Amino acid sequence: MAAETADTPQHPPQDGIAAILKDAGIAALISLALALPLFGFRIVGFGSGRGLALEERWDWVVTAVLAVFAGRIALNLWLRRFRAVLAIGGRVGDGVGDKIGQAVAAAPRLGRILQAAKPAFRIAVAGALLAVALAWPAFPFVDRYLLDLGVIVLTYVMLGWGLNIVVGLAGLLDLGYVAFYAVGAYSYALLALHFDLGFWECLPLAGAFAAFFGIVLGFPVLRLRGDYLAIVTLGFGEIIRIILINWYPVTNGPNGISGIPRPSFFGLPFAADPPEGTVAFHQFFGLEYASTQRIAFLYYVILALALVTNLFTLRIRRLPVGRAWEALREDEIACRSLGINPRNTKLTAFAIGAMFAGFGGSFFATRQGFISPESFSFIESAIILAIVVLGGMGSQLGVVLAAVLLIGVTEFFRELEQFRMLAFGAGMVAIMVWRPRGLLAHRDPTIRLHARGEKA
Amino acid sequence: MPAPDRPLLTVEHLTMRFGGLVAVHDVSFTAAGRRITAIIGPNGAGKTTVFNCITGFYSPTVGRIVLHGGRGDFLLERMEGYLIAQKARVARTFQNIRLFPRMSVLENLLVAQHNALMRASGMSVLGLLGAAGFRHAEREAVDHARYWLDRTALADVADIDAGTLPYGAQRRLEIARAMCTRPALLCLDEPAAGLNHAESRDLNHLLRFIRDEHEIGVLLIEHDMSVVMEISDHVVVLDYGRKIAEGSPEAVRHSPDVIRAYLGEEEGEALPPEVTADLKGEGGAGAAHERGPAETQ
Repeated sequence: MAAETADTPQHPPQDGIAAILKDAGIAALISLALALPLFGFRIVGFGSGRGLALEERWDWVVTAVLAVFAGRIALNLWLRRFRAVLAIGGRVGDGVGDKIGQAVAAAPRLGRILQAAKPAFRIAVAGALLAVALAWPAFPFVDRYLLDLGVIVLTYVMLGWGLNIVVGLAGLLDLGYVAFYAVGAYSYALLALHFDLGFWECLPLAGAFAAFFGIVLGFPVLRLRGDYLAIVTLGFGEIIRIILINWYPVTNGPNGISGIPRPSFFGLPFAADPPEGTVAFHQFFGLEYASTQRIAFLYYVILALALVTNLFTLRIRRLPVGRAWEALREDEIACRSLGINPRNTKLTAFAIGAMFAGFGGSFFATRQGFISPESFSFIESAIILAIVVLGGMGSQLGVVLAAVLLIGVTEFFRELEQFRMLAFGAGMVAIMVWRPRGLLAHRDPTIRLHARGEKA
Repeated sequence: MPAPDRPLLTVEHLTMRFGGLVAVHDVSFTAAGRRITAIIGPNGAGKTTVFNCITGFYSPTVGRIVLHGGRGDFLLERMEGYLIAQKARVARTFQNIRLFPRMSVLENLLVAQHNALMRASGMSVLGLLGAAGFRHAEREAVDHARYWLDRTALADVADIDAGTLPYGAQRRLEIARAMCTRPALLCLDEPAAGLNHAESRDLNHLLRFIRDEHEIGVLLIEHDMSVVMEISDHVVVLDYGRKIAEGSPEAVRHSPDVIRAYLGEEEGEALPPEVTADLKGEGGAGAAHERGPAETQ
């Protein structure tokens, strides 16, 4: 109980009615200050040439303030009840409030359970997730929308895993990761359109280009640390985006590039009527044509790419270079005193992280068939970074959980339209409140002297 | 006592200025292999600055620092910091311990063997493919780490995070980590700071073992006189960035310059007469009190 009170000193559980009213009053005042400019006034146009007028909406303001006032009181009352439930120790209550209280209390516990669990349990969770991911297109309830959602989530998982190398392992705060994603996407689009190369030939090239850009950026800036590196990478992300907008002859500017070839299944295209002389996928296998076949194929491509990223990371963590990355994150000066070349080590992390972004980018280009600079704005970098940080820096499983939570679950709030981002924000706040070091902050040593559990 | 070796490290006319501040002024000394050389001096005497120049964290304003290694001479003042550790094999520890706190004890020791393992892993390519050569090299690296873990009594805690170790164990781990780089010269910046009596005695054992069994030179900065006087073969005394004395512990202990540097000028020499007169009452007692512990050291 004491810990609960310490966490939120502004609501001691023994609050009287007066304190609750005072708290609600303050909240109402704040909401008044916010609601006046946001809801209170609206600019109305009178049509062309007749200017603008200001419409006042006092009723909106009053409604908002009252709603906050009442909501705050309800929240405080509910918090008291919720605390009471916690204090009893999760005794099964019959009220709805109690059930919600327990559910909310269980959520942070889940992370803690995962954290404290033996590695066997974590491997089981990872295996279950992998099984679900492999079988996802085969589930009867998975329609085209859910399949597409799976592709999007997996793209973010892959990007998260790629960025995890840079941020989670090497500790280099990179706010411009999406720039490498853009380099990969444009590499594939331009190579495919101008040189008639297929997706599988372009994939390594796109990765190589992105890695090259990673090194080009890395050389001058890797002597910077922390906030300064973050600012420069942020700038680099913007530079790439602005070049894409303005280099009209090559990138077609803001109009983007369309007609990017779709991937084929080892030479078999996915099309209802394949061009003369070729056999389509569904004809070759004697299936009915369905548009989901292509999506399912894309789904497995990104799943494979993501798994390659994951296996690579798991493996390289156990190699000297992986340990050197983590050591650099921990203490760069100590690394220098041990004869580790900090610049080269950081550059490899930067280049490898960029390479996976390049792979992801070329997948993105082939999936969409159309790319434009709009897809590579700063918010994408921020989302990928949020996935890595909220997942728990360096944790591979954490990245998956955070991507599913932030991208997948938020998608179910799409019907809330512009308020969907509220759900996104709420998810982030919830994770930060309950798991300030990320969903899975646990780290296992990459090598052990004594077998686990053995007493030395 | 081993026969005197040729010098392992020669420092000549080392001067380090930070803007207008002269932290080290024209310091020359040598450190022999298979010997423990101590650098002592009051706070702010420039000891750590000398260390940082030797280990490449600063590049000296003036001076020459030569390491006479098995594979030729290295001009340390011209080398980048990480190359000094990598090529000239100078390892160091830090005054405020610098471990990799969120990595296990064993991982700390493997990071110290990074360059050898990196070569064995074929710059990671062979390692990614799981080549037998790399696995063998890694086993050897773990054995080497194990050797130093046994020497520093850390084998039991090899798999826990270095940051969770108690202070004394962290100090030992830092020395073990430096030794895992297979150095020619080991530089220790106040290794006994914060250790209790028993720990500091164990440290003396460890340092003697390193000197006698591994035949490397040890250079240490130390405040703890019991460590300095007991184990060092050669002592260099710095004060205000200048070398004021050098020699065996016995000779240094009785050098009037050293006593003056540690205890201040004789009264009456520097102070105006009225101040001296004011101090006469308890001043004499204070001076005697101050000198007491110094003489027992």
